[in-house]
Amino acid sequence: MTYIMGHLGEIGDLTLQHMGLVAAGLFLAMVIALPLGVLAARNSHIGAPIFALTGVLYVIPSLALLAVAVRYIGLGWAPVILVLAAYAQFILVRNIATALTSVSPAQIDAARGLGMTARQQFFRVEIPLATPVLISGLRLATVALIAIATLGGYVGAGGLGDEIFLGLQRKYIEQTLAGSIPAALLAIILDALLRLAERSSRARVG
Amino acid sequence: MTLTRKRSLALIGAALTLPSCGGGDRNVLKAGSKNFGENIIVAEIYAAALERAGLHVERRMNLGSTQIATEAMVRGDIDLYPEYTGTGLIDVLHHTPVRSASEVYAIVKREYARRYGITWLAPSPVNDSQALAVTASLAEKMQLRTLSRCAVLASGLSLAAIPEFVSRADALPGLQRFYGGFHFKSVRTYAIGLQYDALTRGDADVATAFTTDSQIDTDHLVLLSDDKHFWPPYNIAPLVRNTALRAHPQAQAVLNRISPLLTDAAVRRFNEAYNLAHADPAQIAQQFLKEHAH
Amino acid sequence: MRYPGADRDAVSNVSLQIEPGAVTVLLGPSGCGKSTLLRTVNRLVIPASGRVLLDEVDNAGIDPVELRRGTGYVIQAVGLFSHMTVAQNIAVVPSLLKWPRARIDARVDELLGLVGLDPARYRGRFPRELSGGEQQRVGVARAIAAEPAVLLMDEPFGAVDAIVRANLQQQMIHIKQRLRTTVLFVTHDVDEALILADRIVVMHAGKVEQQGAPVDILREPATPYVARLFALSDQTRRYDELRAALSSTELS
Repeated sequence: MTYIMGHLGEIGDLTLQHMGLVAAGLFLAMVIALPLGVLAARNSHIGAPIFALTGVLYVIPSLALLAVAVRYIGLGWAPVILVLAAYAQFILVRNIATALTSVSPAQIDAARGLGMTARQQFFRVEIPLATPVLISGLRLATVALIAIATLGGYVGAGGLGDEIFLGLQRKYIEQTLAGSIPAALLAIILDALLRLAERSSRARVG
Repeated sequence: MTLTRKRSLALIGAALTLPSCGGGDRNVLKAGSKNFGENIIVAEIYAAALERAGLHVERRMNLGSTQIATEAMVRGDIDLYPEYTGTGLIDVLHHTPVRSASEVYAIVKREYARRYGITWLAPSPVNDSQALAVTASLAEKMQLRTLSRCAVLASGLSLAAIPEFVSRADALPGLQRFYGGFHFKSVRTYAIGLQYDALTRGDADVATAFTTDSQIDTDHLVLLSDDKHFWPPYNIAPLVRNTALRAHPQAQAVLNRISPLLTDAAVRRFNEAYNLAHADPAQIAQQFLKEHAH
Repeated sequence: MRYPGADRDAVSNVSLQIEPGAVTVLLGPSGCGKSTLLRTVNRLVIPASGRVLLDEVDNAGIDPVELRRGTGYVIQAVGLFSHMTVAQNIAVVPSLLKWPRARIDARVDELLGLVGLDPARYRGRFPRELSGGEQQRVGVARAIAAEPAVLLMDEPFGAVDAIVRANLQQQMIHIKQRLRTTVLFVTHDVDEALILADRIVVMHAGKVEQQGAPVDILREPATPYVARLFALSDQTRRYDELRAALSSTELS
C-alpha cells in the first residue's frame, strides 16, 4: 500500500495513458469493425468467412500478435493499438452484425415503405434500434482491451503495464499491484458505466 | 448521435494522453531513461543533479528499449538519457566491436554528433557489460567459466535471454560470428530481470546478464569470462541533444561532474537497493547526491 | 391507376384499373399474391413483367424514394419506430419532405384527431405504451401524414382482436369519408371487405376472379369460388335479408 500511496501521481498518469491506449484501440477497432459488421449483416455468405477470420485473430495469443506487429511497425504505442484493434474485431464484428440483424423487420419494412433512403433507414432507424446491443458489445470489448493493453509494458507503449513489468523485474509485488489494481478498477468502473448506458438505451428504444 | 460523439471523445482522450510528438517547451529539460532499473536510477541522478543546479527538469522515465530511447532523442521527445558506449557503438551505429574503451567513446561521440546532433558527455568508470551467467554448481560441474567453452557446450545447454539479446548485433548473433558455436539447444526469452528466475529455477542452464545486476551476487551466479574480448566496454555516459545543450549550457558541467562518481561499486550498490530493498529510484538518486555533495 | 401485370408466379396475368378516390379492396386467402401485388405499387416489389401506371406514368420511371414518400403504407405488424414518440412517428414523411416545423406540428394534431386519439395525451407517448389498436391508428396517421394521393394498406387490422378491429374499421370509414385518397386495401376477411370497399377485387391463386362494386359481386358472383367465398360471410346474409326486404318493398 505504501508504494501506491507514494506514487499516486505517476499511477494516475499511467492510468490516463492506459485509457488512451484503450480508447485509441477501440476507435481503430470500430473503424474496421463497423463496415465489416454491416457487410456481414447484409450478406451471410460474406459473414461466415469474416467471422472465421476474426476468430483466428482472437485465438492467437496477443503477445505473439504483438511480436509480429513490432517487427513491421517498430516499438511503442503503435503496435499495441494495432493488436488491441485486431483482438477487438472478434467481439465487435459479430456484435454489430447481430445488432443489425436483430432489428425489427417490421420497422425496417415501414422505413423503406415510407420513403427513407437506404442511408436514412440505416442512421435513423437501424442504428438507433441496434444501439443497446452495440453498447453491450462495446462494453465487452472495452473490458477485454483494458486487460490486453497491459502488454504495452513490454514494448514501451506506456500504460499500467509499465508498473506491472517493472515490479516483476525487481520482484516488487507492491509495484506490480500498483499496475494491476488500477487496471482492474478501470475495468470494473467502465463496465458499470457502460451497463448503465446500455440500460438507459434499452429503455429509450423499448 | 451518441455513438459518434462517444467515439470522438475517445479519440480526443487518446490524442491528449498518448505520448506527444515533436519538440516542446525550451525552458524545460526532458530527462528520459530506458526500461530497466539501473538506467532509471542513473537518469534520476542526472535529473536531480540538474535540478539542484537550478534547472527545470521533466521526467519521462521507462520509455522502452534502446531503439525507443534513441528514437525519442532524435524526435526531441526527450533531451537526455543515460546510454552505454558499447550499446551505442554496436546496437545503434552498427559498428564492429572495438576493444579499447577510449576508442569506443571517440567513435560514438563523433558519429552521434554527426548523424543525430547528439552529444556524448563524459563517460563514467562503470562498465555495465553484457555477460552470460550460470549457477555456481553448473560452472563447477561442467568446468564452464569462459565464453569459449560455452560456445562449444552450447548445443547441450538451454539459454534464458532477454528479448533484445536474441537480435542485437552485440549479443547472440555477434557471439555466434565471433566465437563460433553458441547454437544453444533452446533459447527462450523473458522480460528483463525474469531470465534470472529461469536460471535459479532450473528451467535454463545459461542466462543473459549485465555485469552490474544485483542478482549476480544474491543468486550466487558465475559470470563467464569474455576471454576473447568480444564485448566492447559499456561505459555509461549522459547523452544530450545539442539543441538542449545550447539552451542550457550549464547542464554540461553539472553532468560531467556526476560521471566520475558512477563506479562499478556505486552502481552495484544502488542496484541492490533497488532490487532488494525496493527503494525508489528518485530516492536512491537523492541519497546518492547527498553522499557525494561537494 | 392501373396494373397491367403479368408478374412472376405470385401473381400472373393481372390487369387492373383502380378507381381514383375510392377504396379498392384486394380480397383473397393468404398466399394468393395480393400483398405482392400491393407492394408493386410502391415498388417494394418489382414485377417480372408488366407495368404499374400511376396517372398514366410508369412507376418504374419514378425515383423509388420519391414514389414511396408520395404513397402511404400501412402494414399488419404496424412497424412504429419504437425509439420515436407518436408525434415523431407521424412526422416521419413530412420531415423527410422538409415541411416547416409548425406545419408538421399542426398536421400531427390534426391526424391524431382524425384517427380518434387525443393529441394532448398521445403526442409524447412511445409505441410501447400503446395498445395494439392505438398503435395501428398511429400507423394509419403516419401513412397519410404527407397527404399522399395513394394509400396502401396490407392487412392492417389483422393483428388485433375482433372488437378492436371493428373499432378500427369504423375509424377507417370515418377517414375515408373525410379524405379523397385512393386506397388499396388488402385483406382476407370478407366482412371487412364488404364494410370498407367501394370496389372489391377478388383474387385466388395469383389471378383475379372478379372485380366490381360489392353489391354487384354479391348479386352476381362470377365464379363458384366467389360465390362460396361470399356465402360464408355474415354480411352476405344481412345483405340477402336486406335485398329480400327491399325487393318486397319495391314490389309493393
